[in-house]
Amino acid sequence: MKRLIMGNEAVALGALKAGMTFFAAYPITPASEIMHILAEREKEIAFVHAEDEIASVHMAIGASLAGAKAMTSTSGPGMSLKQEGIGLAHMMEVPLVVVDVQRVGPSTGMPTLPSQGDLIQAIHGSHGDYNPIVFHPSSVTECYTYTIEAFNAAEESRSPVILLLDGFLAHLSETVDLEAVSVELKPRTLAPLGQGTRHFTGLLAKDGVPQTKDSLYYRQWYARVKTKMLETAARYGFYDYHHNPSAETLLIAFGITHRVILPLKNAYSLFKPVRLFPLLEKELAEAAARHATIVVIEMNDGQYRGEVQKILKRDVLGIPILGGTISLMEIQERLRGL
Amino acid sequence: MDYKDYVKWDRWPTTWCAGCAIGMIFKQLTVVLAKVAVPREELVVVSGIGCSGRAAGYFNTDSVHVTHGRAIPVAEGIKRANPKLKVIVFSGDGDLVGIGGNHFLHASRRDEDMTVICINNGIYGMTGGQMAPTSPSGIPTLTSPHGTPYAPLNIQGIVTSNRRHWFARCSTYHIAHLQKCIQEAIAWQGFSFIEVMAFCIENFGRRLGFKNAYEMLFKLKVDYKLNLKPTDRLADNELGVITHDRQGS
Repeated sequence: MKRLIMGNEAVALGALKAGMTFFAAYPITPASEIMHILAEREKEIAFVHAEDEIASVHMAIGASLAGAKAMTSTSGPGMSLKQEGIGLAHMMEVPLVVVDVQRVGPSTGMPTLPSQGDLIQAIHGSHGDYNPIVFHPSSVTECYTYTIEAFNAAEESRSPVILLLDGFLAHLSETVDLEAVSVELKPRTLAPLGQGTRHFTGLLAKDGVPQTKDSLYYRQWYARVKTKMLETAARYGFYDYHHNPSAETLLIAFGITHRVILPLKNAYSLFKPVRLFPLLEKELAEAAARHATIVVIEMNDGQYRGEVQKILKRDVLGIPILGGTISLMEIQERLRGL
Repeated sequence: MDYKDYVKWDRWPTTWCAGCAIGMIFKQLTVVLAKVAVPREELVVVSGIGCSGRAAGYFNTDSVHVTHGRAIPVAEGIKRANPKLKVIVFSGDGDLVGIGGNHFLHASRRDEDMTVICINNGIYGMTGGQMAPTSPSGIPTLTSPHGTPYAPLNIQGIVTSNRRHWFARCSTYHIAHLQKCIQEAIAWQGFSFIEVMAFCIENFGRRLGFKNAYEMLFKLKVDYKLNLKPTDRLADNELGVITHDRQGS
């Protein structure tokens, strides 16, 4: 059945489809609709309107440990607060989905305007080294699909998977046919609390026993966790590549930005990463090798461009679209000016 | 069941200093768990950061040791996801009512079904002895070298301001009372909070002139008296229980 729904609703429905039974969050524009829709289901799932963002992510961690597929949602300012819990979930290897509907920042910024400015926060927001999986859908149907995939990746990686939306996409209404979406659900990978003897800790630990002064063990632990994250991510290498044989320039864009530049496909090749992180190294390198010029178009000051340049080891141009207003004409003009 | 069944002996010795109060309180909880025979498979202990926070790992049950101040929300998530589990938070004053104060405020308001045991030694002990929100007025600490300028947080006031509540103040010295209160708290359906007056000899007491842990323990005997009558408010030097089971507004 076709329905007209917005991105945030698709995220909520995707989470329910994935088997989420616990949700906690704190109201924030432009993510609140996810909460509103899930609050309506409070008889079917455990729903908590928490006292703050820190509480909601920690509640989700507790719920996940207790056996529930769990999610929390927020926007940039709340994402900053959730970083503490995200680090804990990486350390304790707890599956979880964290949705960040990006708005213009820093701080309170422009709350109602969309951005894609939380990419680096999504991968480096918590302290220390960790390698999160980050998805960024670019349509309402994709919001649904990749919410489900985020739950799957969270289970397989036993880590908090980040789902980024720009505020535009979150509030974009599109006609979708969700029944046509078919994603196989991954089962729970973590035995729930109630086994009687396990210890979960934010400290470095081996079999539940803290190892806080063993650097060698930390290196082994980190190597194992990193390998686990990269191997899991490899099974979720979502992207879309439109090759234009006559194009000399490859445009890389995600989220709403990709939707805006779609009309340029007759003049350019287009690469749309959905799994933003870990970077699609091989796929990006292959697409880039066929083009003289690479341009990343994003609603921030070059966060993805920097990451892409780092792996391609060649010049990558960027068109930063700041401040939440986006137009195809402006992008075309700036492409001509490069 | 014996209390020893609830202790993870392979983790011994603990991180706690000789003469620490936490071990005494830890033991009383395990004694009560054995007494009321809580199956280890239905029990989860959650703690935050600090010396008391290390306790979770010493219970022979599933346990979670989380970030600073977040034991209560993690415990809430556990309880909401699986209401069959008995959830006990065991942590310190700085963790629960300092950095975790907002969660304490709201979990008690929501009357979440859990027992919180707050080891109140009035100091940040693990980090060397800084002023806690519970430090007595006028007492010098590393971050209040000229004396704590504030009054300690009114924990019973916060808990008992909720229309339905269960609060106890106990002491490490009055061990029989502590044991009885833990048992009652665990049986209470809803949010139960025990403030256990404790002490830290290494990073607090010795700077105040105490020669050993026993002097600090004995001071609890001198300073506190039991009030076993039903009451709405415990005086600053009283130990006892305040509870109200009213429903509605």
